Amino acid sequence: MKTLKRYGAIYREFVNNCFAAALTYRLHFILLIVMDLIFYFTILGSVEFLFQHLDKIGPWGRTEFMFFMSFMIAVEHLHMTFISENFWEFSYDIRTGRLDFILLKPVGALFIIFFRSMRPGTLLNGFFPWAYLIYFGSQLHLNALQWLALPLLVLLGLALLTSVEILISMSMFWIVESMGVNFFRMQLQQVARWPDFVYQYFAQKFFSYLVPVLLVGSAPVSFLITGDWTGLSKMLGLLVICWGLIGFFWRKGLASYESASS
Amino acid sequence: MTAAILCQNLAKDFRHMHKEPGLSGSIKSFFVRNYERKPAVRDFELVIEPGEIVGLLGPNGAGKTTLMKMFTGIIVPSSGRLEVLGHVPHQREMAFRRKIALVMGQKSQLWWDIPAMDSFLLLQKYYEIPDTDFKRRLGTLTDLLDVDRLLKVHVRKLSLGERMKMELMASLLHQPEVVFLDEPTIGLDLVAQKNIRDFILAWQRDHRTTVILTSHYMADVDALCKRIVLVLAGGKRFDGPIREFESVLGKQKFVSVDFEGPVDRQLALWQGLDASWNEDSTHVELRIPEDQLRSTAAAILQQLPVTSLSMEKLPIERVMNELLVKPQLLADPQL
Repeated sequence: MKTLKRYGAIYREFVNNCFAAALTYRLHFILLIVMDLIFYFTILGSVEFLFQHLDKIGPWGRTEFMFFMSFMIAVEHLHMTFISENFWEFSYDIRTGRLDFILLKPVGALFIIFFRSMRPGTLLNGFFPWAYLIYFGSQLHLNALQWLALPLLVLLGLALLTSVEILISMSMFWIVESMGVNFFRMQLQQVARWPDFVYQYFAQKFFSYLVPVLLVGSAPVSFLITGDWTGLSKMLGLLVICWGLIGFFWRKGLASYESASS
Repeated sequence: MTAAILCQNLAKDFRHMHKEPGLSGSIKSFFVRNYERKPAVRDFELVIEPGEIVGLLGPNGAGKTTLMKMFTGIIVPSSGRLEVLGHVPHQREMAFRRKIALVMGQKSQLWWDIPAMDSFLLLQKYYEIPDTDFKRRLGTLTDLLDVDRLLKVHVRKLSLGERMKMELMASLLHQPEVVFLDEPTIGLDLVAQKNIRDFILAWQRDHRTTVILTSHYMADVDALCKRIVLVLAGGKRFDGPIREFESVLGKQKFVSVDFEGPVDRQLALWQGLDASWNEDSTHVELRIPEDQLRSTAAAILQQLPVTSLSMEKLPIERVMNELLVKPQLLADPQL
């Protein structure tokens, strides 16, 4: 409990500092808000366009599909707000040796690395993804338990997506120039943005088990629509495996870290 | 008492890639990598007691920063034994991390886009410093460094000297037992350098902190360190009191002479005195063995139109320069 309280206090300072930094550059702050809104509307708009010409995609009609897209946007909104920036910073930390200072702090270094930066502007956009999710959820006639489970499932999706990305980012210790790793991560987000039945057999298995980003949205939404637990149990199992591997590669990465010259 | 730092046979190798110049070299290296292992530190032995201020000296690439990074646990030694305050640094125990601090003149630990005060508040949470202690320490450091008006200024708007003061504050708020200072005055003007030096001396005197310093400015080392360790090509070549280091080239005095007009540089008088002339031959700097000082000075005064003559002990900077050019002068590697 004491540890949680301590990390909570540290995270509060991270948030304060990020707000202080973000509000320094006013136009940049506003541009990011506009950019995020455009991103949400283009995603939903493109699916809406498809359903003006189709009745179904796979087993889902417009409502199920739009609910899935809203679910993924809610996950991505949290990801962009609280996590995304840190992957770019981690790459910079390793290249410049700024990681040295993080390693010296008496706090879990992974916590500092992957949670210290957030985008306050994106946080302010939170209304839109959740409004869409609630709107399409109500069209699906979710029951009270499903409504209660919904935010937890969004968090579970976020946890899996983030864990897979952190695991992939461990490769930055060896690759050093990590733009390629970051673009790879972004492509995985692109893959996860569509339901699993869109993909052919091999791709579906690959992105459900080896790099399990398809589970991020497909498993929780399938659970809500059909009550199928299998996807959720896979998610939990893969989360445990992911963190086991993150621990392993983190230790290996630190052992081979050479730090940038001063 | 546990040594602040203890290392035995410490070594660190780095792997470097060699690439032929040009496009063909780039394409070739994409497919076939030519790696070479280079020892950055080798067979390093060192014991530093708590409360000492020790200067690590050496040219660029000698291995000083690699040693600092091993001492702080940032990088893992290739072999050998290393303990800092009884901890093995690369195991990175939380208790160890609370006891040390690192300041790097060329890197910043402060958040760039916010005032330093916001970074200090974050550090308070990292190190769990109680509010009353935090306020007291912040007040003391602010007064010592005279930075009250800078606490609320964005770090990116500070001058290099001002930023370095903030870096020092950030490193000392948790009152570490050992502080590693890697080029803390690099790039600073003379006044700023002196301010930083005075602060470090005052802090160390009050807190008995163990300080390990690397600097290319001999003035830093001269002012701060009683003991110095010379590192050349990854190995220790001298370890002892700074006064012994000054006489490592023999007991000599540094003599500076001005003349009314140009004098002959070819005189036999200058032979063996390592004469260093100005352009118009009206000023010379000499290194004279102490046993020849009286006779040589008398000869200069008698034979030449001297306007001023001053002598002092050999500056550490000059000893250092001489050793960098002629490392063989240190015959005994474990001197």
